[in-house]
Amino acid sequence: MQLIGFLIVFPMLAALLLLVIRANAARNAIAYASAAIIAVVTLFVFGTNLGTEAVYFEFSSGAIDIICTLISIAIGVIIIGYAVRYRNIITLVLGIAQLAASLVFEFAFAHGVEVEAGLYMDSLSLIMAFIIGIVGSGICIYAIGYMEDFQAEHADERDRRPVFFAIMFLFLGAMFAIVFSNNMSWMFTAWEITTVCSFLLIGYTKTEEAIRNAFRQIIMNILGGIAFIGALYYCAIGLQTLSFAEFLQIGTLAPVMVVLPVTCLAFAGMTKAAQMPFHTWLLGAMVAPTPTSALLHSSTMVKAGVFMLVKLAPVLNVCWIPSLMTVLVGAITFCLCSFMAISQSNAKRVLAYSTIANLGLIVACAGVGTAEAVWAAIFLIIFHAIAKSLLFLCVGTAEHHIGSRDIESMDLLFDRMPRLARLMMLGIMTMFVAPFGMLISKWATLVSFVETQQVALLVLLAFGSAATFMFWAKWLGKLSGIAGRPENVEKTVHVSEWIATYVMAGLIVVCCVLLPLISEYVVMPYVAGVNLNAVATLSNDILWITSILAAIVIIVLFAGLKKSSKSKQVNVYMAGITVDSDDRSFRNSLGGTTKATASNWYMTEYFGEKRIKPIGEISCAILMVAAFALSFAYFMALI
Amino acid sequence: MATWIATIIGIVAFTVLAPIVGCLLDGVDRKISARMQGRVGPSILQPYYDVRKLLEKERASVNTVEGTYIACALLFALVAGGVFFSGGNLLLCIFVITLSSLFFIMAAYSTRSPYAEVGAHRETLQVMCYEPMVLMMAIVVFQASGSFDIAGLFSLDTPIIATTFGAWVGLLVILTIKLRKSPFDISSSHHAHQEIVRGITTEMSGPTLAKVEILHWVENVLFMGWVGMFFINANPISIAVAIIVAVLVYLFEIWIDNNFARVKWQAMFKIAWLSSLVLGGVNIAIIAFI
Amino acid sequence: MAFASKSPWVIHYDASSCNGCDIEVLATLCPGYDAERFGVINTGNPKHADIFLVTGSVNERNIKVIQEIYDQMLEPKVVVACGCCACTGGVFHDCYNVLGGVDKAIPVDVYAPGCAVRPETIIDAVVAGVAALDEKSKALKAKKKEA
Repeated sequence: MQLIGFLIVFPMLAALLLLVIRANAARNAIAYASAAIIAVVTLFVFGTNLGTEAVYFEFSSGAIDIICTLISIAIGVIIIGYAVRYRNIITLVLGIAQLAASLVFEFAFAHGVEVEAGLYMDSLSLIMAFIIGIVGSGICIYAIGYMEDFQAEHADERDRRPVFFAIMFLFLGAMFAIVFSNNMSWMFTAWEITTVCSFLLIGYTKTEEAIRNAFRQIIMNILGGIAFIGALYYCAIGLQTLSFAEFLQIGTLAPVMVVLPVTCLAFAGMTKAAQMPFHTWLLGAMVAPTPTSALLHSSTMVKAGVFMLVKLAPVLNVCWIPSLMTVLVGAITFCLCSFMAISQSNAKRVLAYSTIANLGLIVACAGVGTAEAVWAAIFLIIFHAIAKSLLFLCVGTAEHHIGSRDIESMDLLFDRMPRLARLMMLGIMTMFVAPFGMLISKWATLVSFVETQQVALLVLLAFGSAATFMFWAKWLGKLSGIAGRPENVEKTVHVSEWIATYVMAGLIVVCCVLLPLISEYVVMPYVAGVNLNAVATLSNDILWITSILAAIVIIVLFAGLKKSSKSKQVNVYMAGITVDSDDRSFRNSLGGTTKATASNWYMTEYFGEKRIKPIGEISCAILMVAAFALSFAYFMALI
Repeated sequence: MATWIATIIGIVAFTVLAPIVGCLLDGVDRKISARMQGRVGPSILQPYYDVRKLLEKERASVNTVEGTYIACALLFALVAGGVFFSGGNLLLCIFVITLSSLFFIMAAYSTRSPYAEVGAHRETLQVMCYEPMVLMMAIVVFQASGSFDIAGLFSLDTPIIATTFGAWVGLLVILTIKLRKSPFDISSSHHAHQEIVRGITTEMSGPTLAKVEILHWVENVLFMGWVGMFFINANPISIAVAIIVAVLVYLFEIWIDNNFARVKWQAMFKIAWLSSLVLGGVNIAIIAFI
Repeated sequence: MAFASKSPWVIHYDASSCNGCDIEVLATLCPGYDAERFGVINTGNPKHADIFLVTGSVNERNIKVIQEIYDQMLEPKVVVACGCCACTGGVFHDCYNVLGGVDKAIPVDVYAPGCAVRPETIIDAVVAGVAALDEKSKALKAKKKEA
């Protein structure tokens, strides 16, 4: 338990230290050291508790309650302060509402309810800790090199890197608190910390766009936060408990009792997990420096949302109103965001849509709530976290070295940045092709949907997956182009960036090849622990076959694509009028030179944002409103 | 352990047999097409001669990786076929064959040839067009037989076609895309003088092109296996029925190939997705709710 | 036996002809003569083709195109000059921009005369080309063995 406490407190202390220290060298050293310590401790906790069943730690402290209250006040003040400064009325109203609600709650209701086991640990929180501790701190290391370039590009602005790194580490601490807290009011405090942290990170550059997007984020997430408080009120008053474990137990045994709070919590999870109609905040988060996006998309923030939903899964399994909402919203989000990803050429935007789509899938799995679905959801979380962080880091590095984040400009990256391109290809392949983890998880998803006869989900999944193939394959194709003019521009990539990207790539390789073991020792214990009838979704033989195939693909990618070969090298066919084959230029009818260019397909007339977005937003909003209305009706009937 | 051995035997057997069957199938295809056009047509073994000739040609490529990608595509196609015909998991088979298509597409992209790249774009689109129906095919197989294992079909009392007719028809629609037949042969076709030369295979030559031909043969055999599996049940005669149906379907595809002009990609996309949605979606719903 | 002769794939290039020969070449490849009986396929892609059918005379502008297409064909390969213009420059031989027959640009294996060249002549020429192809294929094999 001390180690858990350490994981929560240490990043926050590191953050404090980073905030104070201004010297570059010292900051880098501290960031490296803290990230390394967090990673090592995480690995230790993970290793020593492998396969654990839920362990609850007797721990309650009035001091922590008071600190939580103070943090809540601080958060409220920060939000209100920014809202006043930038004259954003909606944020102001919501901020005040949330602050008032949480204060009333802390003083009037929370103290009456004692939670004995304040902290806990089960296999799911271990997995989450692993993602936060390894992937998250990897991103922090990456940020060291990245922010140096970033600052060099924005040399005329004040160096606010101390704040940046402090927030990054604070974020990690808050995430650890979310996954290890059993006391729901502590969890809520950490939840709000992540909201504010991402608000500050998104608005980091202080451009008009950044500020606007930051406010969009906070408005949407406060809505979720208020729903969370609503659930807390219900638990404290109606159920007389603030222990998450007890709440889930009540929920599984008597789902009728918890329809409203589960709907509230699921809603809070979905705002955080950027489900439609709240997906725009994650798209807006793109304006921030790339490490921020990587952190928000892969290991923190959105993962807090889906963590909440996966925890709720056993209840959702038996509670049809919130279940229907999560399942349908998740599936619609998956399908439509995959469609919209086709129409994007900005690499980070494609990644964002794919994140939202994958989160949608996780949300849908959590909503289904059977053992297979939870198994699939956890695997989706794992693979999504590492693959997506790898991709973000690669895109960030590429952006600094080719000067663009547009996929069209990544033409010839295979030559220009050979190592990076291969890593990026690995990341992309992990996201959607067969032997890799993501597809295995999608497979399990399919199985669980089939078994529960979710027809709408199956259809949405089938079409969404097809769209997924399209947008990843065309990106992959762009990367794989070779023109035989190696003009390497990756020599200047920072060491810290390489470390982080290689860590992610290594994780992918390990997770793909050892997938059967991960299933057996890490994921299954959780599924078994929450009383879901644990059955292996996919037979171990199949898992091993896929892991061999994955190994083959990885070997081909990194060792098979050689620089030289025995066969004669020839020019491409240009209808007999080539001028320069590498450049794809040809002699035109006037005797001059013309360059052949080919851009990718975006199919905007079918998959443009204008066309798809309203459909998704309206249908998901209707679903959410309907779910709340029904839950209220249920609640009224209950009392 | 049994799955392992079965899969390995399946892959080896498929590697030996599928090219032979696929080659003959292609030969018959060309012969029948010729007869439909009032010609004598080439020998049934013509595809075999073509491939042997290609293997005898000089080795040349526009880059060092194209051949590797194609080799991977062929390898994974063989694995997919092996998994399927050894009674393995249908989803695994589908995902591995998709991986094979991906490698094929990447080979074309890697050349950076204007024609091959356009072909690769179109091939990607084709995959997107047929993928929903392929997944739905797996879903209805599961719904009707209770498992994704092909071996499970051999213990059924009635073949699954009884409840999955809609999805089967949907499969036939996208089969035309998968077999690269007109009207959906937009990424590359066997006919010369098209606007993108030979599309996705423009830069592949000699032995590499031979591998592509073999790849198409084994893919075709696998797809005909998909068509036939709907008719399998515990009765051994059903295997004969399945083979006959597959042959009839192939003849039907040849007929379509010879009678329809190629469509634009928009039309292909709409036809493929709408038919998948209607035929596949409705079929899934019917099995689920009835 | 070399398989080259069993599957001669052709590519057709119109240098600068009056189009008469081109029409005949395409007519030869049409179902009427059914060249596919002998495995002939019109590929339209030099990288796939074994036999290069050129019609028309070579001029300053297209000589490079002919050479590039020829270079992009893989060994073994043969060239058939179809029609008088392709053989010698024909009626265009003394035009200001005409260089002459196809052999001014690339080595020609078979000459098929005629104005316009008859399909029967083209078939004969292709058969002769196939024989040449076979020989070249054998030579290539022998060279491979030596290496």
